[in-house]
Amino acid sequence: MEFGTLLAALRFGDTTFPGGGFAFSQGLEGLAAVRDARPDAQAVADFLDEQIRHRWAPAERVTLARCHRAGDDLDAVAALDRDLDLSTFSESLRAGTRRNGAALLATHARLGTPGAGAYRGRILSGEAPGTLAAVQGLLWRASGLDEAAATALAGYQLVAGGLAAATRLGLVGALGAQALMPRLLDTVARCAAEPVADDQDPTGFSPFAEIAAARQVRLPLRLFSN
Amino acid sequence: MGLMSPILNAVPANAARIGIGGPVGSGKTALIEALLPVLERRGISIAVVTNDLVTAEDAERLRRSGVIDPARVLAVEAGACPHTVIREDPTLNMLAADELDARFPGLELVIIESGGDNLASTFSLDLVDWWIFVIDVAGGGDIPRKRGPGVLQCDLLVINKVDLAPHVGVDLDLMLEEARAVRGGRPLIATACRSGLQVEAVADAIVEAVLIRR
Repeated sequence: MEFGTLLAALRFGDTTFPGGGFAFSQGLEGLAAVRDARPDAQAVADFLDEQIRHRWAPAERVTLARCHRAGDDLDAVAALDRDLDLSTFSESLRAGTRRNGAALLATHARLGTPGAGAYRGRILSGEAPGTLAAVQGLLWRASGLDEAAATALAGYQLVAGGLAAATRLGLVGALGAQALMPRLLDTVARCAAEPVADDQDPTGFSPFAEIAAARQVRLPLRLFSN
Repeated sequence: MGLMSPILNAVPANAARIGIGGPVGSGKTALIEALLPVLERRGISIAVVTNDLVTAEDAERLRRSGVIDPARVLAVEAGACPHTVIREDPTLNMLAADELDARFPGLELVIIESGGDNLASTFSLDLVDWWIFVIDVAGGGDIPRKRGPGVLQCDLLVINKVDLAPHVGVDLDLMLEEARAVRGGRPLIATACRSGLQVEAVADAIVEAVLIRR
């Protein structure tokens, strides 16, 4: 990876870059209700492992890669965006990825990233849902990241965001979260090494996470958006 | 929050945006409840965004208060990060305010209430044009002397529940004097929101700061 690309990836992966991701637990907050017990570190790792292997890798990663390849063809990006949205069964996860995508897009629109304003217009008109993965592919290509870097960044943010949520929920400590990080990132790397075909459809299936997300919605007290 | 509609991503930022922050229990929601009828009597079109620490308690309280159309109140979850959602990463609040702007043509003022936090919280100027920090005498007369960033940096410091001062052993004159000193003479107003004391003065300050100049 070129030095400039690495610096750009560090910039967008840093929590100081505003993208709204901190408000989403992707169902982790509902995990205790599903397990009927307080999740331990292994349960957190298992939850994230399922999300990486059965949701992110076969669905969101595919959409990100194909949107990245679509470049400034916003019609193509919007079609891929709609496919991912339609393939997301859980309402709270679907709403969450739209909100997260909208937040990231809002920041890039204000920063003047090429395509950000135009794609925001598509979402406003109802032509595109604005899922996070589609927006990542569009914006990170426009910001100079190649497909591999954009995929790595998305995988990293999934893991880091999940572990940050687990830390704030008190399920693991900050050091405990870091202890889980290497093997989860190894899983990301293994998944990212699988090629994405030009005509590949998103095919995620992670029922446990979706049930946890559904339970999270019904919790009387919630810290996270989903 | 009803965030499935495309209107979420509406861009226009026509209404002035102000922040109201402060520690848990200082009276942020009570101040908003007292301000809404005062500002509405002045013919100002208002909406509110709350950043509840858990679920949407403050939003629900405002919706049920009868002082504002419930559709004009949106809740943004802070993900256990009440400082982040108004300062380091205000994007979700910006989207909520954009959504209110788009839903209510002619909207003039969006009040963004922070989640209960501490003396270190401050609002990003990417999010608001002007902001209030609320503390209260029952929290301790020494709060101004501690020089928290919220107390020092806000555009208007509100010291609430002044009617409780004799009951909680606070020398109110000394507290106000120290607050003026640490703020270098920048504005502060002593209120008792429950009884309406000085709420008109807070409304005057808001109008002067963000509405008259627009």
